[in-house]
Amino acid sequence: MTTPVLAFDRVSKVYDTFASGSRYALRDVTFTTSAGRTIAIVGRSGSGKSTLLHLAAGIDVPTTGSVSLFGRPLERESETTRTRLRRDAVGLVFQFFYLLPHLSLHDNVALPALIAGERGAEVDARIRHLLARVGLEDRARDPVQHLSGGEMQRVAIARALLRRPRLLLADEPTGNLDDANGRAVMDLLLTLAAEEATTLLYVTHSREFAALADETWQIHSGELDPG
Amino acid sequence: MIRYLVRVLAANLRRAPSLYLLTVIGVALGVASVLTIQILNRSALAAFTGSVQAVSGEADLSVLGRTPTLPDSLYPTVLADPDVAGAWALYRTSVTLADRPDFFLEAVGVDFFAPVRIPLVTAGRVGSEGGATPVNPAAVLATPGWTAVSPELVADLGLAVGDTFTVTSGVRRVRLEVGALVDFRRLTPLAGTRLIVLDVAQTQALLGEPGRIHQIDVRAVAGTDLGALAKRLRETLEPGVDVLTPEQRTQRAEGLLAAFRLNLTALSLISVFVGFFLVYSATQASLVRRRAEFGLLRSLGATPRQVFAVIAAEVGLLGAVGVALGLPLGYWAARVNVDVVSATLTNLYLLDAIERLYVPRALFVLAAAIGIGGAVAGALLPALDVSRRDTKTLLAAFTLHERLGSAAVPLAGIGIAILVATGLWFVVLGRDWQGAGFVLAIALLAALPLGTPLLVQRLAALVRIADFGWRYSLRSLGVRLQTTAFAIAALGIAVSMLVGITLMIGSFRRTLEVWVNSSLRADVYITTPSWRGRGTDATLDSALAADLAGMPGVRAVDRLRGFPGYTGERRVALAGVEMGIPYDESRLPLLAGERTPALAAVHERGAVLISEPLARKTGLGLGDSLPLSVLTGERRFAVAGVYYDYSSEGGTVIMSLPTLNAAFGTGPVNSMALYLAPGVKPEETVDAIRARYLDTPLLLRSNQTLRAEVFTIFEQTFAITRILQGMALLIAVTGITLTLLVLAHERLSELALYRALGAGTRQVFGIFVAEGIGMGALGLVLGSVGGVLLAAILILVINRAYFGWTIQVSVPLAALAWQAASLLAAAVVASLYPAFRASRTTAAELARDDV
Repeated sequence: MTTPVLAFDRVSKVYDTFASGSRYALRDVTFTTSAGRTIAIVGRSGSGKSTLLHLAAGIDVPTTGSVSLFGRPLERESETTRTRLRRDAVGLVFQFFYLLPHLSLHDNVALPALIAGERGAEVDARIRHLLARVGLEDRARDPVQHLSGGEMQRVAIARALLRRPRLLLADEPTGNLDDANGRAVMDLLLTLAAEEATTLLYVTHSREFAALADETWQIHSGELDPG
Repeated sequence: MIRYLVRVLAANLRRAPSLYLLTVIGVALGVASVLTIQILNRSALAAFTGSVQAVSGEADLSVLGRTPTLPDSLYPTVLADPDVAGAWALYRTSVTLADRPDFFLEAVGVDFFAPVRIPLVTAGRVGSEGGATPVNPAAVLATPGWTAVSPELVADLGLAVGDTFTVTSGVRRVRLEVGALVDFRRLTPLAGTRLIVLDVAQTQALLGEPGRIHQIDVRAVAGTDLGALAKRLRETLEPGVDVLTPEQRTQRAEGLLAAFRLNLTALSLISVFVGFFLVYSATQASLVRRRAEFGLLRSLGATPRQVFAVIAAEVGLLGAVGVALGLPLGYWAARVNVDVVSATLTNLYLLDAIERLYVPRALFVLAAAIGIGGAVAGALLPALDVSRRDTKTLLAAFTLHERLGSAAVPLAGIGIAILVATGLWFVVLGRDWQGAGFVLAIALLAALPLGTPLLVQRLAALVRIADFGWRYSLRSLGVRLQTTAFAIAALGIAVSMLVGITLMIGSFRRTLEVWVNSSLRADVYITTPSWRGRGTDATLDSALAADLAGMPGVRAVDRLRGFPGYTGERRVALAGVEMGIPYDESRLPLLAGERTPALAAVHERGAVLISEPLARKTGLGLGDSLPLSVLTGERRFAVAGVYYDYSSEGGTVIMSLPTLNAAFGTGPVNSMALYLAPGVKPEETVDAIRARYLDTPLLLRSNQTLRAEVFTIFEQTFAITRILQGMALLIAVTGITLTLLVLAHERLSELALYRALGAGTRQVFGIFVAEGIGMGALGLVLGSVGGVLLAAILILVINRAYFGWTIQVSVPLAALAWQAASLLAAAVVASLYPAFRASRTTAAELARDDV
């Protein structure tokens, strides 16, 4: 039996709030994903989608239950180990792109490699390849400030894929784009994930884009329905 | 908005008390330093004015000598003028307590038969008699050493009326009796407590010269034109006499103290700069923390003006707290430093010591205004920046300071234009103006920060990002210029001042070493304890001088007599020297002229040597003649040479002792220098003289001791470098800490992104420490360039204009290296806390509000 890429076992996440006491962001969530699959999670704002992604990336740990990444229970790992695991095996795409305005396209894409201490011709070749795949190879040295929203998200996708992550997590990747750009970005994301043989887990509130995934799960008030 | 301010102030104070505290400290520092220096400056003048008012408060004019003393035969001539209602002669000298050689008293001999009001109290408690009590002149004259002493002095010395105490004047020991109490503070609150009053004839006999006086105070007939009376008296009396109003005497003191006061004021301005910097940095850090708060206010409809008003009101309030702390702090600092300043006044300027602080209320108002104004001015740029930013930028996760980035080139252009324009102005017009050096220095210190953004931007752009380490950090410094460039510029200015003054002082010290080695050639130097007060009162009698010269082991003796004199309206120190060694054995360092022929001209043909400062200020040189006010009026002396001299900025003149005595009248010498035979040890000779003259108050120093004293005084005088170093370190630490804290807040999302992409806490920590070191290093580079230029201005322009000394440039490498190392170490220490805070940022910060 192969180890699942990501597994949630009865995971709950509770936040203590000053105004209303404890509040469940996730409640008793259980699922597994295997390598190469694409999964869309659909839910409204505040339904717990982002919390789920944070737990999956090891940014946060569950209040109860277990989150396993490549078979390693994250809640038992130190913060440093979780960070390294994320650095080496997880790619992240954000709704607001989070590109650094003072860096060029090239340097924004290179950031994960810089952090990991990787350098050299191989890294440069990989960056060129990814920028070519997202259609921005001619603008590698441009500042990112002048890009359109769709272009920025394409750069963010290239950045997320740079270190060949085994799991790609995308938080509303089209949430800040118009329909045309959203569709183009979604197509690109799915295509590249398939090319790179990466497991893709993305959250969206668009049923149209959710339908493009291998599986679509619903999340409502912190409770996940894996279909 | 006022209600809003009141509600949020307490909450923000709880959240970030350290930032508010820094603003308060910044204001308090500026207020305290301005108040301290202004109090000391005013007190220095007030001490002189107080002395004038106490002794000559009832006089409309004072007749003063341009030579050491005047004959008392002038007194009847003054009285004979029909417009003179009354006149009284004064003999003034400083004495020391025999058992406390550093405790100086100002003795004033007055004529008790003259119509001068002296606020005497017969005995007992001051004021018990309800006013001035007339003294019986006959009783005064009948009691040898009868002295009126202030109540404070009596209390200090533990004396009572009828008790005696011993003072020394030169080598004389004199027993005085407390005959009455005198309270000059009834006449003027500025009066000193160390003023003692004796009969003028007794003063002449016991402490001075019979037949000679220092001053005649004149009360004019009501309605007299004082200017006309002064002119007539000047013409009637002998040449070499000044007739001045009390105001004119105060103006003279002000002129003498101008450079001294300017230096103190410059020092206080440095503190104001540090305070301004602290306020700026703390305000910026505080506002960046609250960026989202202001974004929210703007989104709810607050106008930029309203946001600005909230910030200005808040800073104004903090400024008021800073003022409340700074005022007592400034007063306390003035009290602590008054003795040092007072010693400088008496030693260098021969003026009255500051006994009490003079603190007019206007000074508090001035300091408070500077505090509040400085606080608002310091906060102005950050407040304008935040209030003018659009709502979207205030609420954005990632921010860039594009405005300063695009303004870097024009700003640098303005800086270069300022430097070029000031340089041209100096070459063409300003060279002969005394204050030109300060204009150059201010231009340099203004151009430095203007060029900083471009320098940081260009240097950062040169760095190729090859890793997530120090190169990445340096590159980041160029991104947030508005934050980093200010801290680097402030550090650059502080380092410039530190390096500039260190270079100047290092060069001066080296120059002084060479000069002292050349000038101090004798083995033993002899004078009296009075020398430490006014050197002119340190008199050695001729029998003692002859006896000392005849001591075994003494090969040769130099005798020196000195007192202040006048060339035109300029006061100079005159020295008459009788050389005991051959001319060619002297090592007196000359700037112009050949030593042996120059000394021959001085000793054989009545010529003089003038010091370099005097030569520069008067424009005189070799072959010119120097006019001096002598007994018979003005006489010109041929200048045989110009010598290097670092003992006085006012100028000194050396002539032979016979020439001096012929021109100014004979008098006792003030010091002697003994040259010992080979093999005779100076310290043993000093001990032998002490044993031989047990009861004579002598001040004996071997060559080695005197040299050590010279350098001790030098180090004390330039203790300012330690203050500057402290301030540079303070700027480095607070600047870097606050800037990095600002960056940690501004870059919260960026740091969270790094963490999301897998950066460890150590990596983020390292990035911030490297940024701190980078800022320290850039400040150091900028400051080193600025410091070298500032040193050149200080040595070649300001020093020449105000002091007139030649300073050979010498680089104190060890001191500079130590300063650089301590600044970089401070940068590392300053980075640790912000780096720790930044490293605690979690990836979850990217979506804090989204659950």
